Amino acid sequence: MGEGPQIRVAGVSHLYRPPKGRPVLALDDVSLDVREREFLALLGPSGCGKSTLLYLIGGFLPTEAGTIEVEGRQVAEPGPDRGIVFQHFALFPWKTVSANIRYGLERAKLPRRECESRAQYFIDLVGLRGFEDNYPSQLSGGMKQRAAIARTLAFDPKILLMDEPFGALDAQTRAIMQSELLAIWRKTPKTVIFVTHDVQEAVYLADRVAVMSARPGRIMTLVDTRFDKSDPNLFKQPAFIEKVDAIWHLVREEALKAQAGRLPGRLQ
Amino acid sequence: MADVTPTPLMAVGEPTEGRLPSRRFDSAFALSGHWIGVILILIAWEVFARSGRVSPFLLPAFSTVLARIGADAMAGPLFLNIGLTLYRAFLGFAIAGLIGLALGVGMARSRAIAWFFDPVISIGFPMPKITFLPVIILWLGVYDVSKVTMIVLDAVFPIVTATIAGIRGIDHQLIWSARNMGARERHLIFHVLLPGALPQILTGFQVALPIALIVAIVTEMAMGGYGLGGAMIDAWRLAESPKLFAGIVEISIIGYLLVRGMALLRRRLLHWHSEGRTRG
Amino acid sequence: MKRGALLLFKFLPLLILAVLWEIVCRAGLVSSLVLPPLSAVIEAGIDLMTSGDLWTNGEVSLYRVAAGLLLAITLGGALGFAMAWWRPLNSLISPFVEILYPMPKSALIPVTALWLGFGDGSKILLIFLGCMLPVTLGAFNGARGTDEALLWSARSMGAGPLRVLRDVVFPSALPELMNGIRTAIALSLILLVSSELIVARQGFGYLIGTLGSDGAYDAMFAVVLIVASLGFIADRLHLAASGWVLRWRM
Repeated sequence: MGEGPQIRVAGVSHLYRPPKGRPVLALDDVSLDVREREFLALLGPSGCGKSTLLYLIGGFLPTEAGTIEVEGRQVAEPGPDRGIVFQHFALFPWKTVSANIRYGLERAKLPRRECESRAQYFIDLVGLRGFEDNYPSQLSGGMKQRAAIARTLAFDPKILLMDEPFGALDAQTRAIMQSELLAIWRKTPKTVIFVTHDVQEAVYLADRVAVMSARPGRIMTLVDTRFDKSDPNLFKQPAFIEKVDAIWHLVREEALKAQAGRLPGRLQ
Repeated sequence: MADVTPTPLMAVGEPTEGRLPSRRFDSAFALSGHWIGVILILIAWEVFARSGRVSPFLLPAFSTVLARIGADAMAGPLFLNIGLTLYRAFLGFAIAGLIGLALGVGMARSRAIAWFFDPVISIGFPMPKITFLPVIILWLGVYDVSKVTMIVLDAVFPIVTATIAGIRGIDHQLIWSARNMGARERHLIFHVLLPGALPQILTGFQVALPIALIVAIVTEMAMGGYGLGGAMIDAWRLAESPKLFAGIVEISIIGYLLVRGMALLRRRLLHWHSEGRTRG
Repeated sequence: MKRGALLLFKFLPLLILAVLWEIVCRAGLVSSLVLPPLSAVIEAGIDLMTSGDLWTNGEVSLYRVAAGLLLAITLGGALGFAMAWWRPLNSLISPFVEILYPMPKSALIPVTALWLGFGDGSKILLIFLGCMLPVTLGAFNGARGTDEALLWSARSMGAGPLRVLRDVVFPSALPELMNGIRTAIALSLILLVSSELIVARQGFGYLIGTLGSDGAYDAMFAVVLIVASLGFIADRLHLAASGWVLRWRM
């Protein structure tokens, strides 16, 4: 563990230019430091730019104003040090589960046998043993997300970027996936930046929650949310409930602002 | 929302723009016509033809072709030819439309009719029906009847399949509501089914009209006489390449106008409909 | 066994029509000049096969169509992908496409005959030019519709731009590309038969024409049926191929 943050976002602003219409400021002078192996949640109402910030860190969007540095180097392009998991899984529909998971390993030019054994390890880790040769169209939503997570974990990125990964799942599957994600994270600790609009999910999963304002997105506050995550009654603990409540009020105000401005996005 | 297949990032709810440069795919192919591009092509044609690299027989200059079109328009049979070809194409198209709609509705509503015609349609569709032209000429002679019959034979298929697909795609609850309110089959067809299936049916028509034009031209080429196709074959026989290229230009313009006209008509007819799932 | 029975039931109407055809002719309801009985047609067809006429002409036609289609699919497909990938190329070429799209491709029959005569060359060029467009459009639209999340996932896993084109854009475009190829196949047969009926000295279309003008109507009907069924067979083959290539779909 070196000194200084692993990820440093400094004064980043981002202009969204739709194909028709005027440009809109999505992010306004955002600064954030993320420590190594920290689990950070980006929380905010729809349209607040949290996914945009994630994509900037991932290098999928060009940083036009401000700087983003990962381990001292400026982010210019996507790369295998920052793995991404999308809400709609983004599995290659024409590849089997196992072929999907092997893809990143093959890009890294690992020998075939090692690709296969590593892929199998992660298939087992996420509980998809027996489905290696299935196509994504044959899997349920939860299974697809497991496969997507396994695919990203397989090539061992230092940083895991997750864009509302459980948003497309039903409530029960979501709850199961949340605790499984924590279990996996404990086994293979990484830096995780987790985008969500669900306050409870953020407080449960993360060490720190960055609460963002409505568009244009700013970081309003950073809240420490370290709890004993292995406590089965965590959700009933008064401290936990208090924290969720406090953050919810912050977010609610911003969500109302967002709706009042009739900004596009899902209604919360 | 479970089990959603991957959708473009836009649907996620966050603005995502500024793709990495090489990933920006254009929204081209709106037949709005990039006129600058077209003019550049015509200029390139003119320059290349005059450059001497290719004989004016193989590629007459655009200006020569234009002059020929002008001459045909003034003193020649240009409008007669265009008129004849269009007459045949539209006549065949109209007949195919009536037959196609009737057959399509019949097949969508009656299992017996569907059973009888299904193999005919599914085998007939991918067949190069132009193959039957000699048979049709044998039966019906060398005049317009054969041409129009051939056109009908070719144009009817897309209309039938589109009508069937359109009617089958109508929300059942719409039909049940109408039935509930006492609608009889005939009323149902004209007031519920056909309007409901209109987007698909129009698509079928939009496919059928260019086909009608193509077949009209081919039959004219095969059988000679007046009409754009006949004129082009005459030009070929007499090795008059400006006239031949004139035919190509004329047919292209007409084809373009037809396609544009249909797109505009479609927008008018479907103004009440969410055009989201149609491709104009 | 049950599947066979189902298939038979599905195509029963055709069988009925065939039987009707035979009956109507034998009963003398129609002059055998205008409509030879099915049995005579079949006989004439077999004669053509044994005499070799069918094969010599058939070979030529199949060669022309195969060559033209191959060119149309490979070059047309490559062009479609290139246009989707590089914006400047797209701006340069799309005016061409927009002009050619509504043009009835049969208008090219005389000009290709002018350039290359009666032989194989003109037909191959005709089919190549005429059938290229649906393939290009299919490739272009399919590539354009690639889910961006897939592109980004591949990039984040270390794939360079060219690799992404190969590993993500191409498979993603396959459904629309296959559809475009299906249209191209049907169009190729139409252009082949049309041009052979009008400007050829060999091939199926030419054979039909000569048999007709010689008055050998039963043989003519035989070739007509054979060519018509080729279209159906080609489409079925393509569907089977599509089914395999796209087996990962639901």
